[in-house]
Amino acid sequence: MAEIILKSITKEYENGFQAVKGINLEIKDNEFVILVGPSGCGKSTTLRMIAGLEDISDGELFIDGEKVNDVAPQNRDIAMVFQNYALYPHMTVYQNIAYSLKIKKVPKDEIDKRVKEVAASLGLEDLLDRRPGQLSGGQKQRVAMGRAIIRKPKAFLMDEPLSNLDAKLRGQMRVEIADLYQRLNTTFIYVTHDQTEAMTLGTKIVVMKDGEIQQIDNPTNLFNYPENKFVAGFIGTPTMNFFDATIVEENGNLYLETQDGKITVTEAKETKLREGNWVGKKVVVGIRPEHVMLDDEAHCAFKGEVNVFELLGSNAIVYIDTAEGRIVMNTPHVKKHEHGEKIYLSVLEEKLHIFDPETERTITN
Amino acid sequence: MNTRYSDKRSLSVRILSIIGKVLILGVTSMFTAFPFVWMVLSMLKTKTEVMNPNSFFPAVPQWSNITKVLFDSNIPKYMWNSTWVSIVIVAIQIVTGAMLAYALVFLKFRTNKILFTIVMATYMLPVAATYIPSYIILANWNMLDSFRGIIISSTVSIFGIFLLRQGFMQIPKGLVEAARMDGATHWRALWEVVCPMTKSSFITFGLMNFISTYNNYMWPSLITKTKDVYLVSQGLRSEFLANTAVNIDWALVMASSAVVIVPLLVLFAFTQKWFINGIGGETGIKG
Repeated sequence: MAEIILKSITKEYENGFQAVKGINLEIKDNEFVILVGPSGCGKSTTLRMIAGLEDISDGELFIDGEKVNDVAPQNRDIAMVFQNYALYPHMTVYQNIAYSLKIKKVPKDEIDKRVKEVAASLGLEDLLDRRPGQLSGGQKQRVAMGRAIIRKPKAFLMDEPLSNLDAKLRGQMRVEIADLYQRLNTTFIYVTHDQTEAMTLGTKIVVMKDGEIQQIDNPTNLFNYPENKFVAGFIGTPTMNFFDATIVEENGNLYLETQDGKITVTEAKETKLREGNWVGKKVVVGIRPEHVMLDDEAHCAFKGEVNVFELLGSNAIVYIDTAEGRIVMNTPHVKKHEHGEKIYLSVLEEKLHIFDPETERTITN
Repeated sequence: MNTRYSDKRSLSVRILSIIGKVLILGVTSMFTAFPFVWMVLSMLKTKTEVMNPNSFFPAVPQWSNITKVLFDSNIPKYMWNSTWVSIVIVAIQIVTGAMLAYALVFLKFRTNKILFTIVMATYMLPVAATYIPSYIILANWNMLDSFRGIIISSTVSIFGIFLLRQGFMQIPKGLVEAARMDGATHWRALWEVVCPMTKSSFITFGLMNFISTYNNYMWPSLITKTKDVYLVSQGLRSEFLANTAVNIDWALVMASSAVVIVPLLVLFAFTQKWFINGIGGETGIKG
């Protein structure tokens, strides 16, 4: 149970490289915050600064109202689960889980009781006498979580905890972490580069790039209302399609003109575009693959040839080469399209995202 | 035919290589072990037999040589001095060495690299160059001719720092960070997480420095003059060799030498497994 506030936090290394550039972030009690972004975006560094494992070059960090910039990690009362689990190889599972309590000089009976409770909740009862070397990846992961849970800390920090597991186990553990969050009812800060984890686990997602925060929002808003092209492209699989278009006006209505056709602009978007004086100018348009569909030649926005057809069972992903570049369509129609087949595509107009080509900021969603 | 020929050929090559290895290792071992064997045999000889090149084995084993050393000389006392002084020195060296090695490997500070360079540079310094300054410091502190002086002048071992640093570098930094997050101070992380994982480096360090301190001759003989504070090598010399170039009872010298190394042999027997691991850089952590 903790409120964590980052005020203009910067991390600059000795060689002058800035890994984190003055970020501001407010994490409320009981929130599940996800720091997500590509490799090198500063998400792990941010987490490590919250943990106290990295010095803060500039800015202020508050935990529960107390400034902790210079407080040692052991005095911050937060637990961390590491990417490679970091279990002590010379200790048994029991000793690993109990270590933090032993340091706190908790009485032995109490330690025993709590270790057994945690072990039971994580299904580790039969493994307490084993050493980490004798455990599978998933079991190690559970021990690492047990080690964090037993302390009942103010907040849990998790640094890509699932990235060393195979896909199936990752899915399983994701559900377990979600369950744990419900049960523990405390603050979680979770770092990942996997946007599925971000979208499924987080109550608040922080998208980072090059040491800066791009957007902070809940998963739904992040998906539906990205604030810039980077966020739009980063969240969602397959990734959003981007193409260039010109805003044209015909008979009082606005259209997006592509090389192959025209796309009507909805009323809500029209207002924004007129307000920003975008008529007659070039913009970047984004559309998610699930909002691209087959159409006939007369009404289409794109003409193209099928390059790859991927059948995923209940849906299919089709990669189409058009004059605007590669367009990806995620369709529930699983009829196979052959390589080289000519097809015509239109888009769901209300789902278009329009970006400023220079600043890449969203003009309208 | 060809295959069979090459099979035969490879077999003979293999036999030859085995014979070669056995010969080289055998001869080297003999050279290494000979002084030891010779010492053990000589300690049971008479004074004249020792100097006689024609008698390799003692005609009649002189067990009295050993009893003389054990009961009629100061050797046991010097052994005791050497043993406890070495234990204290090694214990201090382990603590100081581990602390510095931990700082060099796990702590981030600006002068980390410079500090390591300075530490290594002092290793390059000839020991003899440090004798005079060390002597003056001990004299100023009034610690000449005392156990305190011997101990305090050997509280840090550069070799040990280097050995432990190499061992610590094998440990993932995440483990120390995990310990810190679990609430451990650096001190606890060092002794409860890092140390158990680099046990062999510690044992190698302890054993090698115990042996060198136990046998140390030059420095203690420079700063001590009272027999009470003699270490064993110095004691051995004063007991049988000092002030005389003739009429040395070499059989007794050999008997004393043999007795003196018994504690070292016992120690080595117990720690052999770890010792080899430590030298090889194996820390017992895999994968």
